[in-house]
Amino acid sequence: MRKKKYSLISIIGSVLKYFFLTALGVWMLLPFFWMISASLMTPTEIISKPPPLLPANPQWENYIKIAQVIPLGRAYLNSIAVTLLTVLGILFTSSITGFAFAKYQFPGRDVLFTLILSTMMIPFFVILIPVFYIVKQLGWINNLMGLVLPGIVSAYGIFMMRQFILGIPDEFLDAARIDGASEFRIYWQIILPLTGPALATLGVFNMVGIWNAFLWPLLVLQTKDLYTVPLALNSLRTYGMESQVLNLQMAGTFLGTIPALIAFVILQRYFTRGIVLSGLKG
Amino acid sequence: MAITANPYARSGQTPGRTRRRLNHKTLWAFIFITPAVVFLLGLSVLPILFSGWVSLSSWDMITPIPKMKWVGLDNFAYLINRDAVFQAALRNTFVFAGVGVIINTALGLAGALLLNSKIRSRTFWRTIYFLPIVTAPLALGMMWSYLLSKNYGLVNNLLGIFGIPPQPFMASPDTALGTIIFIAIYQSVGYYIIVFLAGLQGIPTEYYDAAAVDGANPRQSFWYITMPLLRPVMLFLIVTNTIGALQVFDIVFAMTDNTNWSGGGPANSTVTVVLHTYMTAFKFFKMGRASAMAMVLFGIIMVITLIQLKLLQKRD
Repeated sequence: MRKKKYSLISIIGSVLKYFFLTALGVWMLLPFFWMISASLMTPTEIISKPPPLLPANPQWENYIKIAQVIPLGRAYLNSIAVTLLTVLGILFTSSITGFAFAKYQFPGRDVLFTLILSTMMIPFFVILIPVFYIVKQLGWINNLMGLVLPGIVSAYGIFMMRQFILGIPDEFLDAARIDGASEFRIYWQIILPLTGPALATLGVFNMVGIWNAFLWPLLVLQTKDLYTVPLALNSLRTYGMESQVLNLQMAGTFLGTIPALIAFVILQRYFTRGIVLSGLKG
Repeated sequence: MAITANPYARSGQTPGRTRRRLNHKTLWAFIFITPAVVFLLGLSVLPILFSGWVSLSSWDMITPIPKMKWVGLDNFAYLINRDAVFQAALRNTFVFAGVGVIINTALGLAGALLLNSKIRSRTFWRTIYFLPIVTAPLALGMMWSYLLSKNYGLVNNLLGIFGIPPQPFMASPDTALGTIIFIAIYQSVGYYIIVFLAGLQGIPTEYYDAAAVDGANPRQSFWYITMPLLRPVMLFLIVTNTIGALQVFDIVFAMTDNTNWSGGGPANSTVTVVLHTYMTAFKFFKMGRASAMAMVLFGIIMVITLIQLKLLQKRD
């Protein structure tokens, strides 16, 4: 009797459990589904009441039309270049600086490290105006270098790489020194290969934020040929919110989100690990 | 064995050679850290000091720095006494951050607890909940603008089927901020779920087994094992996300009509501090006022950070 009651409760429990998970999942996915569906509709379909779930005749030419209106191909290339250069910059500066703080004794080391950590508390927004001024003085306004430069050093990246490199035994380095390796070669041929997984995590973790960045590119870039993907999407908005172009807008928005979604599904493992690492350090 | 051989190799060196070796290593260490340190000094430390100075000056960014006019606390006085938009922005930003973070924490914890229980295809669910996080906030904003638009929006179309009159969502000052909060929750609840889930998986199962042996029911295990051990993770989530939410810009920008200069929804109902700062600095070129706003928000964020450090220390 009692056993039966328990199993009934557990059945109800797991039904509720899957109901909640499904509801949450539907909430997450439905907007994407609607966006894709609307991107293939005709302007009449998109505003008809009740709205069709799927377009009667998928209007694939919407995608061709939108590609002619905004230079998305160019925006992909710009975004890829900016993201790649910034991530490479972060990986290099984080690993070499983290290495020095983990494996060398030098005067002022702890003070400098504390200073680096404390810069993590400065939100980028607070230094927006001075950094903009500096980039302007360097002549990098409306230049992709103006997007790359402020992002190539990450205080968190230095911290993370230092923690990781602390776990590499000193014996590896000493053995290399006996063999006559220079300090830079130790970094390049011993430290870098051993930090591979940490570098992958750090890189992928930063990639998404750089790809999706909006406020800074909005300030720095002025001409359409330099627009990154979020800026190209933004130029879609000025193109109008009328029902006539809603389908094109949704087509453009979907095209703009695809690369990040694909990259995420492939690199999910590293991205999740990066999130978890940053979340559990506290 | 290299490991045992090393000390002998080292002790064979003359003291002089050891010292030179150390100096040489110190030199390399400095070479290694120089780029990052110079960069952080130049593009983080110096700018924050400069921001502080600009907040006490009147500047349009075109005037050369030596000719910048010192105005003392005038900018702050202006924000407090005359800038109604800033006050609305401050209020909106607090409501946005407070309400959003509270709901997300509750929803995220619930989701993580379910994913941590016996469940099929955990990775599948996790991937789905994560999609909004990797999507550009701007794209999410545009997607939702369409879905929630008053006249053509799909949500209103669907409500119409059930005889519910069209809701204004972003078009009314009463519902605009709530709508933005709803989208922010949509955007980041997956992040909370992932971090909470990692925290839950870090709790040794022996604790629960021991409690069960002592006759604890699931509710007791939750309140006396899960919650205390999850506290650091929860504190981290709340603090970092509050700090992040206080700087909200992208989704607000994407969902409001920026062709009017104030930029913040009907009757300033969704203007936020960063949005107002952006407009003041880069549309009106009032760098002094904008820097003063940035300093106010920075002060608030510093207080929250210090509270976090204090709370974490108390635990140890």
